Amino acid sequence: MSTECQKTTAKAIPSTRRVTINDAAHMPNDYSTTPGGTLFSTTPGGTRIIYDRKFLLGCRSSPVAKTPPRGLPKIPGVTSPPSNEPDEKASNGELINKKTTSPESSTTGDDSQFEMDI
Amino acid sequence: MNNKFDALKDDDSGDHDQDQGSPKDSEKEKTEDKDEDQNSSRRKMVVPGAGEHPLQYNYTFWYSRRTPGRPASTQSYEQNIKQIGSFASVEQFWRFYSHMIRPGDMTGHSDFHLFKEGIKPMWEDDANKMGGKWIIRLRKGLASRCWENLILAMLGEQFMVGEEICGAVVSVRFQEDIISIWNKTASDQATTARIRDTLRRVLNLPPNTIMEYKTHTDSIKAWEDFHGLVNPSGGR
Repeated sequence: MSTECQKTTAKAIPSTRRVTINDAAHMPNDYSTTPGGTLFSTTPGGTRIIYDRKFLLGCRSSPVAKTPPRGLPKIPGVTSPPSNEPDEKASNGELINKKTTSPESSTTGDDSQFEMDI
Repeated sequence: MNNKFDALKDDDSGDHDQDQGSPKDSEKEKTEDKDEDQNSSRRKMVVPGAGEHPLQYNYTFWYSRRTPGRPASTQSYEQNIKQIGSFASVEQFWRFYSHMIRPGDMTGHSDFHLFKEGIKPMWEDDANKMGGKWIIRLRKGLASRCWENLILAMLGEQFMVGEEICGAVVSVRFQEDIISIWNKTASDQATTARIRDTLRRVLNLPPNTIMEYKTHTDSIKAWEDFHGLVNPSGGR
């Protein structure tokens, strides 16, 4: 119930360190690293949800990502139907809706979408 | 069968500089009406699904294309732009992205826009009107990779400029492609410098790549000057 917490005001970034870069080789390899090796998990604006490129690319293979979003407008040559069901899509929109929602609801289990080569 | 190739003629923009055909003030209202028609079925805010990775902001994909065969002055920007959809999580982003063509494979005078949900990819939007954009012109063949790196950096909050980022655009033109990233406050030099440095880093551009910052007020002026001077039958 303290009123003090509400009086927080914006402050400058506590410490600044300058790192001189003379060559591209001194740049970090990934987005989450800044030159000199600092890692931001919190930014001046408060904690933010940060993902590096590698992580985002890793999510690409998630089962959810394989189905087109519901209501994806059909723009010829721009949005493409899922490669395995172009026929149904052309003939019956209803059917597609059902098909696209079912994998979504099964994503809580992580088994069905992956196959292992043994 | 007149100028079929008008659509390919101009290539000097990162966005809709030449496409916009109506006065600024009336434009916004009209656009909103249109949005309601177009998207009434999914106007609800999107939310991340269970177990998905939420993004800092929701984003909306847009697509625009100049219709060939008609001078641009008769087409307003809003008539040419189409919402593709909004997403709130990393997984939902990939659902859209995986079912969209890569920019490098687009033909004609086309653009993809990826903006924070609620911000229209227009100079006149409240979030944009004091803003500007970094523009990078790319030789053909680089657009797909650069666009992907750009939007992944934006979605992953790699720019570290608080609320400043509005969205990103990739424009496919006749002889080159253009990517740009828009921010809210053109006069904030610390922000624009930080965006530039982040762009250099995440796009992995050749050191001699030219990056240009353009304020939207300058874009509007240039557009108006151009259209004031040009002969109405002269194309565009």
